[in-house]
Amino acid sequence: MTESETEIIMGERGISTFEAFRATLKRDLLVAFKGRNELLNPLMFFFIVVSLFPIGITPDREVLTEIAVGVLWVSALLASLLSLDNLYRSDYEDGSLELLLLSPHSLYFMTLAKILSHWLVSGLPLVLLSPLLGYMLALPTEAYWTMIVTLLLGTPILSLLGSIGVALTVSLGSRGLILAMIILPMSVPILIAGTLAVGSVMDGNPVGGHIAIMGAMLAVAASLAPLASAAALRISVN
Amino acid sequence: MWQWFHKWGSPKWFYDLSGRWLPWLIAGMAVFLTVGVVWALLYVPPDYQQGYTSRILVVHVAVAGTSLAFFPIMAIAGTVTLVWKMKMADMVAKAVASLGAWFSAITLATGSIWGSVMWGTWWEWTDSRLTSMLFQFFLLISVISLRSALNDSETAARACALLSIVGCINVVVIKYSVEWWNTLHQPASALSASSGSVNGIEFWLPTLIMVIAMYLFVAVSVMMGTRNEILQREGRSKWVQDLVKEG
Amino acid sequence: MPSEVNQNTQNMLSARQLFCERDDRVLFDSLDFDLAEGEVLQVQGGNGSGKTTLLRIICGLHDSFEGAISWYGDPIEKQRELFYSSLLYMGHRVGVNKILSPLENLRWSCSMHGSTTPTQIESALAQLGLRGYENSPCHMLSAGQQQRVSLARLLISPAKLWVLDEPFTTLDAHGVKDLENLLANHVDNGGSVLVTTHHKLNVSSGIHYLKLDDVGHD
Repeated sequence: MTESETEIIMGERGISTFEAFRATLKRDLLVAFKGRNELLNPLMFFFIVVSLFPIGITPDREVLTEIAVGVLWVSALLASLLSLDNLYRSDYEDGSLELLLLSPHSLYFMTLAKILSHWLVSGLPLVLLSPLLGYMLALPTEAYWTMIVTLLLGTPILSLLGSIGVALTVSLGSRGLILAMIILPMSVPILIAGTLAVGSVMDGNPVGGHIAIMGAMLAVAASLAPLASAAALRISVN
Repeated sequence: MWQWFHKWGSPKWFYDLSGRWLPWLIAGMAVFLTVGVVWALLYVPPDYQQGYTSRILVVHVAVAGTSLAFFPIMAIAGTVTLVWKMKMADMVAKAVASLGAWFSAITLATGSIWGSVMWGTWWEWTDSRLTSMLFQFFLLISVISLRSALNDSETAARACALLSIVGCINVVVIKYSVEWWNTLHQPASALSASSGSVNGIEFWLPTLIMVIAMYLFVAVSVMMGTRNEILQREGRSKWVQDLVKEG
Repeated sequence: MPSEVNQNTQNMLSARQLFCERDDRVLFDSLDFDLAEGEVLQVQGGNGSGKTTLLRIICGLHDSFEGAISWYGDPIEKQRELFYSSLLYMGHRVGVNKILSPLENLRWSCSMHGSTTPTQIESALAQLGLRGYENSPCHMLSAGQQQRVSLARLLISPAKLWVLDEPFTTLDAHGVKDLENLLANHVDNGGSVLVTTHHKLNVSSGIHYLKLDDVGHD
């Protein structure tokens, strides 16, 4: 087939990958906003889990200060995990995923669009809520910005890693536990980087290095995870 | 025609070859394992610092060292599965995964037995090696459970292959981040010297023998596991049925 | 127009020596077929004979098979994007999100293949008897209506090859008629269709049959 024929088939109606990325992002956001209750669930879950810790451990402000970051991070991890099902499941069940796989655009960018939409809907709200929860856990004032910045860098990584896990398990009937088993151990480095950064600022140490490392993790995850997710999706629909 | 040969031929080739190698490998493993275990547990002299505890360290170091090889092996097998769609690679990967989980568990067990004497506690989070081994163990378990959850063997093979590659990268990142985490949590100096000193020929020679014994053990187990898998998956093919008839 | 150059001179899609095995059962072995422009290939066979698997293999959704598939004479795996830009697939699961409205669903699924205008989508929906439902969420629609939403893609998409898996199942008599007209129009315009159905197709020209029960059972 010659190039001119290619052009005719792609036609003047053909759209660029960027436009397809935007269309997919827009669609996923629309699905999320139309199912309003589900939109709030991860956020409420985050709130509830965080408020269980003072009850379960101690209301002592000094102890809470000590554990605040860890609690926030672990709760964010769990909230992100529970919201992951929205990422590909309904698309798998209604057949939209097949349409996505058969689009002429690179699946890499299509999964990236879906991950971005997932983060905007379930990760970003957690970051926005975190100062309030930080206050309730007696987080010292100097740690707020670091916490927000690290959550801002870390929650997209959770969505990216989660996307691989969901893509691998999307064809399973009951996938909740196995998804958790795959995702949670993988999230250890982010948990470490995030808590260390905040711990470091609370000790009065510089925090730039920690944030740089998280940024690097995000860059690596953003470039590799969509690739792995795309491969996993192809395997799962097989 | 040659696709058929490729498809059915290579498991048969592996089965025949491993059948010829196994007796030798088992004999070698028996020798090294006996010498290693007896030497390590009965004849290694007490360490000036650790006393007789150093004897279990010889076993622990050998098992732990071998444990580190599992994820890379699975990642390589996974790459072969995904790129060349070779079924043999997946059979090997399946055998390796469960063995790896056992090795990680034994590493954790021997490590904490050693720790119970040296640290006075069975578990110490500040030991970065044991901590990252714990997460490696979790990841291996997740590969195994993913395989058992997926019904279709083809899908399971490729999904596990992909997860092994991702997991292998992740294990490396976990290892470094746990070390980093530890240096900032300033462990007490007595605890930080985890695997302690394995100095002098009376320590490293039995350790070396144990390491070789462990690798032979891995080779034997993987081969036997793979042979088992071959017979199950290729049960319909002619050569396996001939094999059954021969008894 | 290149389509005229290719008309009946070259096969659009051809498969050679396809072999597929699932769960230790050979679905088909040394399966060959060709599909030229303006032709319909109806795949027939009983339940479990591998019709769906064959269609998924052609689309590249299922890749544990052996054999060669080519698109205008060249191996398909070397020109995925080109192939996908001329392919429209409709599977058992129709690809209609329940939360979104028909309009929103089509805006996304059609945009994957080319830019579309709302008027285009609205007229396609109207043509398939979905006027008035454009903006209601799809979970309020019946299964047959959802199928019609998916069929609207056939009207909008510029794809030359349609791969349809049991497209008649949930349709009523009226819908069957509509789809038959769509198929006939597509074929008249030089498009091709690969379809599985038990339905007797009323397409005037160039219909071929591929019976899967006959091949590869030993």
